[in-house]
Amino acid sequence: MDVEIVDGSLHSGAPDGPIETQWDRHRFDMKLVNPANKRKYNVIVVGTGLAGGAAAATLAELGYNVQNFCIQDSPRRAHSVAAQGGINAAKNYPNDGDSVWRLFYDTVKGGDFRARESNVYRLAQCSVNIIDQCVAQGVPFAREYGGHLANRSFGGAQVSRTFYARGQTGQQLLLGAYGSLMRQVDAGRVKMFARREMLDLVVIDGHAKGIICRNLVTGKLERYVADAVVLATGGYSTAYFLSTNAVNSNATAAWRCHKRGAYFANPCFMQIHPTCIPLSGPSQSKLTLMSESLRNDGRIWVPKKKGDARPPADIPEDERDYFLERRYPAFGNLVPRDVASRAAKHACDEGFGVGATGLAVYLDFADAIERVGHENVKQKYGNLFDMYEEITSESPYERPMRIYPAPHYTMGGLWVDYNLQSTIPGLHVIGEANFSDHGANRLGASALMQGLADGYFVIPYTLGNYLAQTTPGEATTDDSAFNEAEANVRGTVDRLLAARGKKTPREFHWELGRLLWDNCGMSRTSDGLKDTGAKIRSLRDEFWENVHVAGSGEELNQHLEYAGRVADYFELGELIAIDAYHREESCGCHLRLDHQSAEGEAVRDDENFSHVAAWEHTGDLSKPRMHREKLEFENVHLAVRNYK
Amino acid sequence: MSAPRFQLWSSVGKKLLTGVTGLALMGFIVTHLLGNLNLFVGSEAFNGYTEALHQMGALLIVAEVGLAALFLLHAISAIQVWRDKKKARSIQNSVVATKGPPSKQTAFSRTMIITGSILLAFVILHVAQFRFGLFGGLEYKTMIDGKEVRDLYRLVVETFANPAWVAGYMAVTLLLGAHLRHGFWSAFQSVGLLDPQLRPLAYSAGGVFAVIVALGFFVMPMYLFLFATVNP
Amino acid sequence: MTDAENTRSYKLRIWRQPDATSSGRLVDYEISEVGADASFLEMLDQLNENLVKKGEQPVAFESDCREGICGACGVCIDGRPHGPVTHLTTCALRMREFKDGETIVVEPFRANAFPVVKDLIVDRGAFDRVIERGGYISVNAGSAPEANMLAIGKDTAESAMDSAACIGCGACVASCPNASASLFVGAKIRQMALLPQGQVERTGRALAMVQQMDAEGFGDCSNHGECEAACPKAISIENIATLRREYLRAAFRS
Repeated sequence: MDVEIVDGSLHSGAPDGPIETQWDRHRFDMKLVNPANKRKYNVIVVGTGLAGGAAAATLAELGYNVQNFCIQDSPRRAHSVAAQGGINAAKNYPNDGDSVWRLFYDTVKGGDFRARESNVYRLAQCSVNIIDQCVAQGVPFAREYGGHLANRSFGGAQVSRTFYARGQTGQQLLLGAYGSLMRQVDAGRVKMFARREMLDLVVIDGHAKGIICRNLVTGKLERYVADAVVLATGGYSTAYFLSTNAVNSNATAAWRCHKRGAYFANPCFMQIHPTCIPLSGPSQSKLTLMSESLRNDGRIWVPKKKGDARPPADIPEDERDYFLERRYPAFGNLVPRDVASRAAKHACDEGFGVGATGLAVYLDFADAIERVGHENVKQKYGNLFDMYEEITSESPYERPMRIYPAPHYTMGGLWVDYNLQSTIPGLHVIGEANFSDHGANRLGASALMQGLADGYFVIPYTLGNYLAQTTPGEATTDDSAFNEAEANVRGTVDRLLAARGKKTPREFHWELGRLLWDNCGMSRTSDGLKDTGAKIRSLRDEFWENVHVAGSGEELNQHLEYAGRVADYFELGELIAIDAYHREESCGCHLRLDHQSAEGEAVRDDENFSHVAAWEHTGDLSKPRMHREKLEFENVHLAVRNYK
Repeated sequence: MSAPRFQLWSSVGKKLLTGVTGLALMGFIVTHLLGNLNLFVGSEAFNGYTEALHQMGALLIVAEVGLAALFLLHAISAIQVWRDKKKARSIQNSVVATKGPPSKQTAFSRTMIITGSILLAFVILHVAQFRFGLFGGLEYKTMIDGKEVRDLYRLVVETFANPAWVAGYMAVTLLLGAHLRHGFWSAFQSVGLLDPQLRPLAYSAGGVFAVIVALGFFVMPMYLFLFATVNP
Repeated sequence: MTDAENTRSYKLRIWRQPDATSSGRLVDYEISEVGADASFLEMLDQLNENLVKKGEQPVAFESDCREGICGACGVCIDGRPHGPVTHLTTCALRMREFKDGETIVVEPFRANAFPVVKDLIVDRGAFDRVIERGGYISVNAGSAPEANMLAIGKDTAESAMDSAACIGCGACVASCPNASASLFVGAKIRQMALLPQGQVERTGRALAMVQQMDAEGFGDCSNHGECEAACPKAISIENIATLRREYLRAAFRS
């Protein structure tokens, strides 16, 4: 699996000088579009989540004509809606020592020093504006009795900086952005295209100028042209089959952009969330996440004896191993996600797992109930407990929860520069779809922050800078590039429908998911990774031979939609495996078993791997080209993450 | 956003109208019930009461026209709600069921249009019968305090000497109770007066109210049939 | 308890309709080896896998997050939107709620304002258009004041959150004997009316949203209260009372 490696080809374009003033100086240096000219520009925004919805609304507020696309029936259903816990911001309302600098520091450190400092600093700066904006929109954040905003603490931070709206923060923030978006639809500045799936990017003379969509109701392919394209299509955890993502979340739009020339950065940086409800049976379609805030009061343990099948209540205190508290006395059950996930998987791999599958650990609230009372626990976690009971028919008040880690968020994504522009000029990528801010591990409550920062406060400036250097309305849908892209999409659709094989896309997806979970999950080995790419490749070949897709292309056909997404997971999956193989270090969310300390802790290799691995599509899926962007840490000094 | 004006015949406007008229009609019904208690006292009391009403003169006409308007508005808005319901779902699912509490959907709530329509027809008949003497009796007179007044008591008693009228009126009072079972709390809800604390109160009170009103009107025909006689 | 030890069989009667313009009908299916812990939608997934393998068309139904928050899913199960359990979305409903061998009738959320797109999928675009007319506070990015300038009582914030919890699934409309959208519209109007940020546009919002709600062809409300029982987020019909108050208030302010 030798690949060509190129250094020095990628430039972040981040300004020099002190990090505190970079964004201010950059905003001054960027070109502006005259207010009267903005309406002459058309912008395509794909996705309506926190990043896409906020971007579409904000660009329209500025005066651009926006065409906004989503695969759901309504922009309000984008998967940002499912985020439970909260959103970080360096407001320092609790007066406990927070600052923009500390949020920046925590995020870089939490990301295990694999994020770009300049982007992260800007993110921390924007965080304070986000809260102002959302409150002004009427987002009902939790309040103190005095009427001021409440905060709670989250994993990976020692200050309280997380704003929340019950367990539905993502929903409330999304509805805020959705409201702003709908206001612009009413004003005629945004044209909304729901139930459209972007299936290709149209590049004309090296610039992104349009997209090909499949109208999911009629099945017809449609062409849309613009002066720039903003991609906000989320992450690709669903490649792993079982994840906490929505069943329609997918990698297709981003992947098709990659195949048009956008580099894919750090695809193997995949976050595993520690507190999910474990797998119960073969029909399961996804794993349900439960807010990490549960770890504030729950204690995680497994029996000390392997395969101990006694009910948890019958296992005496001295026969329980509270492994997080034992291994990380300072942070205990509040260690960052990756540490908690890995420890849980480790316990199960060693045979200490509980439940019918042995793939679960206990999260126990008995102590909390004894300490603060049933009522207080109910007030804090009531809805989460109810959700758990709905799914498992077990009451967490009486019996410890069973939890297990699950793929949850992808730090990797399309490579972008400081302006959030990909390697294709005019194609900007925001939110989870890009790679920029979380390094190798994202801290809790930071995804919402990034999506909204990109959408409300970064892309409105940086896209203007790009547009100011272009002539509006240059491209038309008659361009041969549109013909070629549409023919390309049609070819894929026809090929999927023509196979008429024996296996369903779901069966293939399941097998691919197993391969990725086993080899490109939390713990990885060179040996395992060496031939994962080849296994994915042969499964992919079988897929194209033997997949069976029902129905036709000229109708609403969810089966065809799904098959197309699975086809892209196969290509992306191989890149994930290649990237994972070439990152010969433990870092962030993943542990390479050949790179760990004597105590089983992750060992980073800063000398050789302090870089972003951005992959270029060469036409041969097995031979992508790696471009390395060297990461410099001038403000946060490289250190071993230590949560002991 | 160019703000539209308030529309009385919008869905919410109609609801306000149904609610306000409903509340007013319930006020009338209570008054009517209390007034009719005079029937239990006897001819003099009842005829005195009706004569007192007639002494109001023009004011009574205004009240009667007002009442008629209330009935009419209540009926028209409610019929429109029912008509829009048909327009809003022209294909019905093969199975339809309630989820149970906290739903307030009952046979009472589903049949408001039926009970209401019958009650409307009844009201017209009732007014024609006793106010305008559709079946005669408008000419009955009696003396109170040396003054000749209308003997409505006689008409009432004669009417309810007939078992068919007794049965018919008793049946209608049951329908009135059914209408009020949903209508009482619903009227308060329609004008926006209920919050989660008041709602259970209003709902329970609606039950009590419906029973009292229905019972009150229910026993009257029976009492008159069994015990009342016309003083020659 | 694993699926293998506790599986069930069902007879399903499912509404099939090829597209918006064709007529539909109920079609009978049988399914076995359904796990007790499987969700209702996972049961339908399983049915679809079987159908595809037999060369038949899978049943089209909508879903996304599958944890009860996106509002995409929703079918009428034995006449009840989201099924027999109160305050649950279809995706969160588990098959253990159904007895082995039971016949289950699955039909779409039915209302003329929600036309059927295919099988169990309906078009709820009417909700978006109602929100377009005023279900927001007009504030451009960048023009917001410091968040803590505005103190909002904890109770007010919590109460606004009760209304804001709406996921826009449409169960209120589907459950309503009149196909009214009053709960959906009322919840948004109440959220905004409670908050100080919502005061400036309060009058116009109530008038415009009600106007659009009517234009979409939703029915009127008869206070059956079925919507509150069907609402996965237990949104109270107090919101409908507020809707009336706000509309009445607007009569005197516009």
